[in-house]
Amino acid sequence: MMENTKCIEKVEKKVCDHFSISVPNKPEYVNVVRLTTSAIASRMGFNIEQIEDIKVAIAEACTNAIKHGLCNHNQNFDINFFIDDEKIIIDVIDKGTGFASNEIEKPDLTSPKEGGLGIFIIQSLMDKVEIVSEIGKGTRLQMIKYLGDDI
Amino acid sequence: MALYINKNYNKEEQLWMINIAGEIDIYTANQLKETLMKMLDEHNENIKINCLELDYIDSTGLGVLIGALKRLKKENKSIIIINPKKNISKLLTITGLNKIFIIEGE
Repeated sequence: MMENTKCIEKVEKKVCDHFSISVPNKPEYVNVVRLTTSAIASRMGFNIEQIEDIKVAIAEACTNAIKHGLCNHNQNFDINFFIDDEKIIIDVIDKGTGFASNEIEKPDLTSPKEGGLGIFIIQSLMDKVEIVSEIGKGTRLQMIKYLGDDI
Repeated sequence: MALYINKNYNKEEQLWMINIAGEIDIYTANQLKETLMKMLDEHNENIKINCLELDYIDSTGLGVLIGALKRLKKENKSIIIINPKKNISKLLTITGLNKIFIIEGE
């Protein structure tokens, strides 16, 4: 009987939790998303440095959604968090103008630009990043951070 | 979520000293941009930024600093960042901006 219970617990733990929010396309809410994400990451057991990385990455993703997203301020964009024992997956989805995601490049320090750092920062701080963007349709940015030691 | 900027021009050293406290993100970056541009309109001289009380800066904020630096570089002037917190140092290193700004007191 005891063993049975244990088994069920194990199975349940593997199921991933899904937490989602819909965020107004306005700069003043980026901070709210940062704090929400921080609370989720902290509950999962990420260490302080990892939480800081995740906070910076999600803020950059939101900033991108707002900047390259729809100009219409009354639109929202969506964030989905998928949480399990090993990792957090965060999807940021906007229905904005989209961009050519194959054109992301490493910052060129000989002629630094004011823009274009955001995605690069996300890629540096998270373990996996995937961007699917279609011009005119919007962008989905997925990032993953694993629990445990940094890869 | 707020940004506090305190600026002071040192005539003898021909140097802007500014203290930045709080957070620079997409919401507050414009405030920094306007302050910096106004300062450079007055005196296009080196800027020393004290980041001791700066908790957070994002790519938008870094972009503003790059914009100001570009303007200064035309006259061979620079931006000196002093006392950055650990998280800010990390961002400057990741982006390689620690090589184009002068960083002190890390």
